[in-house]
Amino acid sequence: MRDQAHENLIELLQRFMDEPTAQAADEDIQAGERFLDAYPALTPDARLIATIKTQMAVTAHRRHRIVRLVHGSLAAAAAVIVLALIGLLGPGSANRPHLSYAAIIPASIWDSDDITADDLDLAYFSSEIGQIEAQMQALDAGESEIGAGTLVDEFENELMAIQADFWKG
Amino acid sequence: MGRSVELARIIDGCKSGDADSFAQVVDMYSGRCYGYFYRLTGDRHLSDELLSELFIRLVAKIGSYKGGAFESWLFKIASNIFHDHLRGKQRRKKLLEARRSQLEREPDLNESRFSDEGEERLDKLQTHLNRLDTDTRDLILLRFYSELSFKEIAELRSEPIGTALSKLHRGLKKLRELMEG
Repeated sequence: MRDQAHENLIELLQRFMDEPTAQAADEDIQAGERFLDAYPALTPDARLIATIKTQMAVTAHRRHRIVRLVHGSLAAAAAVIVLALIGLLGPGSANRPHLSYAAIIPASIWDSDDITADDLDLAYFSSEIGQIEAQMQALDAGESEIGAGTLVDEFENELMAIQADFWKG
Repeated sequence: MGRSVELARIIDGCKSGDADSFAQVVDMYSGRCYGYFYRLTGDRHLSDELLSELFIRLVAKIGSYKGGAFESWLFKIASNIFHDHLRGKQRRKKLLEARRSQLEREPDLNESRFSDEGEERLDKLQTHLNRLDTDTRDLILLRFYSELSFKEIAELRSEPIGTALSKLHRGLKKLRELMEG
């Protein structure tokens, strides 16, 4: 009989039944298992084993690569976060001179009290808007010699042109 | 002691994705696992499939092995694979029965279509094992091929040791009667 983990089957059976019954049960179990020993099952084909080993190697390699990739990405993300935190909260960050986070608008504009005077484009758009305002007021007051419909069309055209110029930069 | 140290080394290798370690596990356990599947199903091709699935699942799950009897862990997966297969088979059987009854109503039914053409010639033991209910057969074969103790088998099957022992005794007694009869 196989010595399953060195356990004493009789002892185990006697925990649940009286001694003669345990003896008979032990005999039945041993006899049944002798048949299993006497009729060995088929064994796996060598080609199947080779295929399984190859599949396992491929799967393991793929899984390992993915895990490495994920770990690498996490490490990179952690490094970026740490660097960003050091940059924002690190020593001397409060006293850093001329630190500029937005470079699209010239720094001179932020320093000036008269933005339109410092920026030519803004000055140009401001004057255009002023002109349109004046024309609108004239139209409201009935001072214009031109028909109201034509003026509105002109304003619309001008506004469209300004808008287009603005987005062109 | 030496064997368990060697096994621990191989499992560590598997956990780090070493192909040679996986190959060693296959060499150590494929025979017993194949015997378990073959005696459960009596079908060589199906046993091939189940064995392949077992070892591929081992690659995926080896990270979750936290020590203890490796055989217990491995045969638990093997048992789950077999039961998954049974559930799938029952689903397929229902589908097949529905299709069969549909075809029976059609005049040009090819009757050999549903014959057991894939069935192999079974040895005497297999024939009698097949007469036991699936759960008892599973228990008998689990004990025989896993070589686990009763305590471990009872834990693996999540049932009291007395229940497992009683089922095994009844099953093997019946098998003995069938084989000797």
